[in-house]
Amino acid sequence: MSATRRDFLRIAATATGGLLVSWGQDPFQPNPYVRIDPDGTIHIWCKQPEIGQGVKTSLPMIVAEELDADWQRVRVVQADLDRKYGGQGSGGSDSVTSEWMVHRQAGAAARAVLVEAAARRWSVPAGECDTRESVVTHRGSGRKLGYGELAAEAARLTPPEKPALKKREDFRLIGTRVPGPDLREVVTGRAGFGLDVRRPGMLYAVIEKCPVHAGKVASVDDAAARAHPGVRHVVTIEGMPNPTHLMPGVAVVADSTWAAMQGRKKLKVTWQEGEGGAESSAALETRAKELLANPASATLLAHTGDVDAALAGASKVIEAEYQVPFLAHACMEPVNCVAEFKDGRCEIWGPMQMPGTARQVVAQRLGIPPANVTVHMTRMGGGFGRRLLADYVVEAAVLAQQTGKPVQVVSTREDDLRHDYYRPHSFHRLRAGLDAAGKIVAWDHHAAGASRNAYRLDQRPAHLTEIYGMFTANNAALKQQVEMDMQPMRIANCRARYSHLQTAVPTGAWRAPSHNVLGFVIESFLDEIAHAGGRSPFDVRSDIYGTAADFPFHSDYAAPYDPARLRRVVSMAMEKANWGRALPAGWGRGVAAHFTFGSYAAEVAEVSVIAGKLKVHRIVAAVDCGQVVNRSGVEAQTQGGVLDGLSMALYGEITIDRGRTVQGNFGDYRLLRIPDAPAVDVHIVESSEAPTGFGEIALPPCAGALANAIFAATGKRIRRLPVRLS
Amino acid sequence: MPTSLRVNGQLRNIASPTDTPLLWVLRDELQLTGAKFGCGMGMCGACTVHVAGKAVRACITPLGSVRGAVTTIEGLSPDGSHPVQRAWMAEDVPQCGYCQTGQIMAAAAFLAAHPKATEEQVVQELEGNLCRCGTYVRIRAAVRRVVAGSKAAGAKA
Repeated sequence: MSATRRDFLRIAATATGGLLVSWGQDPFQPNPYVRIDPDGTIHIWCKQPEIGQGVKTSLPMIVAEELDADWQRVRVVQADLDRKYGGQGSGGSDSVTSEWMVHRQAGAAARAVLVEAAARRWSVPAGECDTRESVVTHRGSGRKLGYGELAAEAARLTPPEKPALKKREDFRLIGTRVPGPDLREVVTGRAGFGLDVRRPGMLYAVIEKCPVHAGKVASVDDAAARAHPGVRHVVTIEGMPNPTHLMPGVAVVADSTWAAMQGRKKLKVTWQEGEGGAESSAALETRAKELLANPASATLLAHTGDVDAALAGASKVIEAEYQVPFLAHACMEPVNCVAEFKDGRCEIWGPMQMPGTARQVVAQRLGIPPANVTVHMTRMGGGFGRRLLADYVVEAAVLAQQTGKPVQVVSTREDDLRHDYYRPHSFHRLRAGLDAAGKIVAWDHHAAGASRNAYRLDQRPAHLTEIYGMFTANNAALKQQVEMDMQPMRIANCRARYSHLQTAVPTGAWRAPSHNVLGFVIESFLDEIAHAGGRSPFDVRSDIYGTAADFPFHSDYAAPYDPARLRRVVSMAMEKANWGRALPAGWGRGVAAHFTFGSYAAEVAEVSVIAGKLKVHRIVAAVDCGQVVNRSGVEAQTQGGVLDGLSMALYGEITIDRGRTVQGNFGDYRLLRIPDAPAVDVHIVESSEAPTGFGEIALPPCAGALANAIFAATGKRIRRLPVRLS
Repeated sequence: MPTSLRVNGQLRNIASPTDTPLLWVLRDELQLTGAKFGCGMGMCGACTVHVAGKAVRACITPLGSVRGAVTTIEGLSPDGSHPVQRAWMAEDVPQCGYCQTGQIMAAAAFLAAHPKATEEQVVQELEGNLCRCGTYVRIRAAVRRVVAGSKAAGAKA
């Protein structure tokens, strides 16, 4: 992968006497990557969009390290969407994992030509020159030249085929704490989010959608809305066949956001509710239980050994049912986008995790070539998977085309919560057979749940991305899925089954998809097994982690699984949390761990339940993402992932009644607030392994650790989220 | 009926109807986008600005009810040098950053009114400000830093 990409690194001169490092895929088209100006300022473009995961810091740091750039002179620039950058997007905690080598090589190539330029100027061998903080120094004579002074000469040189990369012990920037490049802009209110985009003559739009999921517009009486001061247009939007591309609705477009919101209240829409009106959370639960009662009808995902025989022969069989609700993304910045349409071309500014998807779907809906869609990525007020979809981008594009004006479309919080694409509601029946020593000899997992693949008419199987995290060792038939990701388990007799729970309720990816469920379900059940067998939570887990040889699959997407690293974070979290040390009455500790997207996390929750009141005192997290790139970023993503997981476990729940989402704002869709946020102790494994992504990794174990701690404190097993004690 | 409003030290004429929430006047008419839209119901605090020195939720404050000078994050300090902003930078608080201007404005107003406030008191005041990224650990650290700084300043004086 990296060798072929290297071939397309190019060095060129800029018009102002600077140096430009470009990178592109075949056929080579230069694309800005790094620019060194004559005054020594270094621009580094970040190809991936920033959602708060810190990619705008970590990727440029990798380039700057190999370049030996003075970070104080580095300006980070958010790249626009451009095919020449290759894949662009933020999802699957993938950026650092996949960009590590390419970014190092880009920095090293630029450094090599700068050194060569200095060596030629001084007529000395390049090997006698060192670099540090944007300065080349000749060791023998002590002569120095800044990168800016060398840029023009260096730009005329050819970079080496294989620029030498630094040894880990020579890293100066990587592994340190580096604050975000937009920190000052954020705290002064100048950082531009999607909703802050302003275009000359821009109109503002809000959209009324059918309160019943999958309903359509039957007819609209828009006379009163059109008469509202400031309202310019009322536009009926037809949905697209794939509802993640565009949902139907009626848009009110006005001179201001407030006028649009007020005009919307005067719309009289008759809806064609369809069959979705019969849907409810209770009906979903009934149907799921019917599916779980009929495992013969399920899709068999994996079966090693003979689970039924092993269960029949087990000393003890443990059985439990778990369930998790729909969850909304509730990004603090509601979904929004700005589009302009002129002469068959569409220009877009907005918060997008997958700008390429946005371009493709906009082109499809507007009937223009993708090349006629220009996409500018703004900073995002959170993503959590919501902005992987482009429905709101298409809304803006449709309205821009219809009105001929730049249009900003915004969801109110009620729209955002009631017309989200939710984390699927799912139900899990687990059985485990234990031998006389309490060791697991059989594992049987049957999941029934809504599917985002099925919802968006994807050809891929319904279960994939819902419980794809669960796989058994040495099952070659599952190689492809395992390559996407895996929850490693070495159990001689192991079976996984899935039943698709059909529903019109929209579903989508939610931070750490499938993992955010399994980190609760599997980790809680393992705790049940540990208690039933009288064994330590570490031993129960360690037994099934297996060896690296059990899991020989790997790919570019996720680093190979190393069970020793998973064991290490579990023991580290337990040790740092003083596992085993006595706690006051009513207190308890619980542990959980998970392997997500190539990185490892284990967490211990410490809680008390006194007079029926739950208090989470602290969460101790041990994480391993290989070589740490930005220490501040890994720490922040651990703290944030843990608290997001806690918020989900304590409060997160979307319910459906008469086909409608019940919750509408932060009063009934609760999020964790600061007085209830516990301390989060972060312990990062020092590692020389290649770095892996970290945006989602700390979230999955939190709910499991919390539920297990509540059991330790009270003897009550939490098998359903959000947590309810009574 | 045009209204006038003092915003960040400048007298501004406003064309928006008086029932318009201050948030949309700031964002859509005055192009001051530092105050954010999060919920429209005063439940998340992302829109927090100061009116006559007090923190208010601009999304539920009609223009016609505004009595006194308005300060937004753009006017808190010209360059991010307010002690609360400095503490937020020192702790590298923001992740996505969307809620942070509201967090800072809420903390700044409370500390101005209660210069001897404890960390815990400020944290209780920030209960009204949601952060979906979970930056609460660092917000708390930043608050601790500000509180320690004002104590040190008090001791010197």
